[in-house]
Amino acid sequence: MPELEAVDRAILNRIQSNFPIAARPYAVIAAELNLSEKEILERVRALKSAGIIRRIGGNFVPHKVGHVSTLCAAKVPEEKLALFAETVNRYPGVTHNYRRENAYNVWFTFISPSRADIAANLEEIAAATGVTDILNLPATHVFKIKAQFEL
Amino acid sequence: MLTEIEKRVIASIQGDMPIVEQPYREIAHAIGIREEELLAVLQSLVDRGIMRRFGATLRHQRSGFDANAMTAWQVDEARIEEVGALMAAFPQVSHCYRRDPKPTWPYNLYTMIHGTSEADCIATAREMAAKAGVSTYELLFSKEELKKTSMTYFPTD
Repeated sequence: MPELEAVDRAILNRIQSNFPIAARPYAVIAAELNLSEKEILERVRALKSAGIIRRIGGNFVPHKVGHVSTLCAAKVPEEKLALFAETVNRYPGVTHNYRRENAYNVWFTFISPSRADIAANLEEIAAATGVTDILNLPATHVFKIKAQFEL
Repeated sequence: MLTEIEKRVIASIQGDMPIVEQPYREIAHAIGIREEELLAVLQSLVDRGIMRRFGATLRHQRSGFDANAMTAWQVDEARIEEVGALMAAFPQVSHCYRRDPKPTWPYNLYTMIHGTSEADCIATAREMAAKAGVSTYELLFSKEELKKTSMTYFPTD
């Protein structure tokens, strides 16, 4: 990938967290970075079009909005990978799902209103796919969730 | 507890905001509240720690972080607090959690390590292992993104 321009890096570093809560947020950022509001808007739109910015919005703490979350790991035979991914991804509470290099080769996060609901959904997934070795690994302690990647 | 208005605001801001001069005016209009009220509720959600991060989510692979390794560590429970804090302090680590071990999976501490390459992630893990005095661990490189989205809380339909 081409190197990001210094101005774009500065903008990305500024907008990954603490996005201004003000009527004209891009004018606030412009003032901080000594640029015009128009230039910030153009550059943010370009970074979005280029796919460097995935989205701009809020990220919530599941348990503070009445939900629980967990990490799941499944041992999925090669020939069942497509079916398993399709089945799991259909649940709106599955927000991240990756194939990883391990005997437990599919890892996904699950957010839901209750632990019981997650357990029931995992049983449903096992029944639908025949994949029964699925670990349910809720976090018991959070040491870090990083808000920002310095570019 | 969240009010009905707060739930509406969360539902309206959890996706992708329009990149325009006055995005909050559009969002407020869409959910039938005044812009000032939307701004006040958003600030309150931040102040109460309900919204943990507000801003742009990047595609790391397109912004220079080309590799990531979820690393699972087997740590003596007596040292979990110390080791968790030590590993969380590495700037290459974005997430660090303790999870219960399982009979077929003995690991109890998890870190997400980011780097410019797989070799870079491996080097970071070695450094972490040496510093923490933990020798049993596995790096799980992501081979394929099967899904990545943000959670939809309080869907309206």
